[in-house]
Amino acid sequence: MSTILSELAAGIPQTIGITLASFVVAAVLGLPLAVLRRSEVWLVRLPAVVVVEVLRAVPPIVWLFLIYYSLGSTDQVRLTTFQAAVIGLGLIYAAHLSEAYRAGLNAVPVGQWEATRALALPRRQMYARVILPQALVVVVPPMATFAIALLKDSAIASVIGATDITFQAVQLTQQDLNGLGNFTVAGLLYIALGVPFALVARGADRVLSRRLVGS
Amino acid sequence: MNPESRPLLALDGVCVAYRHHEVVHDVSLDVASGEVVALIGPSGAGKSSLLRAINFLEPPSKGRVVLEGAEVGGSRRSLDALRRDVGMVFQSFNLFPHLTALQNVMLAPVHTLGVSKEQARERAMRQLTHVGLAEHAHVKPGKCSGGQQQRIAIARALAMEPKVMLFDEPTSALDPELGAEVLATMRSLAAEGMTMVVVTHEMHFAEDVADRVVFMADGRIVEQNAAGKLMRDPQHPRTQRFLNAVRNR
Repeated sequence: MSTILSELAAGIPQTIGITLASFVVAAVLGLPLAVLRRSEVWLVRLPAVVVVEVLRAVPPIVWLFLIYYSLGSTDQVRLTTFQAAVIGLGLIYAAHLSEAYRAGLNAVPVGQWEATRALALPRRQMYARVILPQALVVVVPPMATFAIALLKDSAIASVIGATDITFQAVQLTQQDLNGLGNFTVAGLLYIALGVPFALVARGADRVLSRRLVGS
Repeated sequence: MNPESRPLLALDGVCVAYRHHEVVHDVSLDVASGEVVALIGPSGAGKSSLLRAINFLEPPSKGRVVLEGAEVGGSRRSLDALRRDVGMVFQSFNLFPHLTALQNVMLAPVHTLGVSKEQARERAMRQLTHVGLAEHAHVKPGKCSGGQQQRIAIARALAMEPKVMLFDEPTSALDPELGAEVLATMRSLAAEGMTMVVVTHEMHFAEDVADRVVFMADGRIVEQNAAGKLMRDPQHPRTQRFLNAVRNR
């Protein structure tokens, strides 16, 4: 057991790295997608809808193959497995997160938007000071769920050769044929890595809710 | 026209429509500087829609809004200029729940007007004192009573130093006691010479505080007159019916 653990532990940095980097990409790109998707102008809304739906409709493993073996293997662009995984998972989860953001923005009462308009607040300040702090309370719980899903989906990166936990388990199994032991430990590692995400999410949720009503 | 006789705010043939359903038909109304105009009438008369058309929260489908002789256009810049000069107080307060009273009042002076933080803080404290809530400066709206919240909302609008204040049924969400403290604040504002347009169901307020009362029904102005005269001696049968119903309630 401890031998398996020490072998698989070599993949932990890559698993955490792919998860965190993809999450940052998703969190940043998801916001403009959500804002564009709420536009009243259909010409603005339509491209955002198409991007979100296409990103979600194609299986993650297909995206990763597409990015790594075609777009990322040209003479001009050479992507590492890590970069390809982060781009692919980052984009897919940007689409998922944009829907969570959209739900958060929709949850901010109409009166709040009207008050910012009546006060002629510039758009950036309107979002930064008024809308997003309130939307965040609604968005944090699903964000945590997506972070944990992303952690699990990061295992897909092993098929393009990213040296994560799953990759290490596959390698080890090819040597010792102990699939049951190796993948059980891999599963336990994913569970253990998911716990901090859940704790951070719960803490953030508590703090944000308190900030909204407390004195 | 010389500036003295020019109305501060003029609505000219304003219509408001939701999708294709028109709720305000061809309303023209002048408001002089320092004047308090009360809009009264049954629910669904188009009072709130008309008020919201003044600062383009409901952009007029037809007609013009003219502030200090300048017609308001549809561009963002023109709207922002208008909204800097026109304060709005909502029925449901619409305070920002995650900010303290002081932060609520300071926000727009800092970010809309570009006033320095120190000056904005000073200005905000002055307005909170003005509405009698200086001691609530560091409290969030959720911890205040409805009446206090509405007074903070009034302070927030006043901190922009507007030329006109619009009130959209400011006491309708409050019980009579809390409504009274809001009305007292509005009374003192009127006494200080603030130009106000008030949609209200408070007939005593309309009679005592407003200079002019405008009665609306079915999206049109039915009758308008000096407050005392309209309330005591309405001419139009529709106005008489409404006021009788209100008095006999």
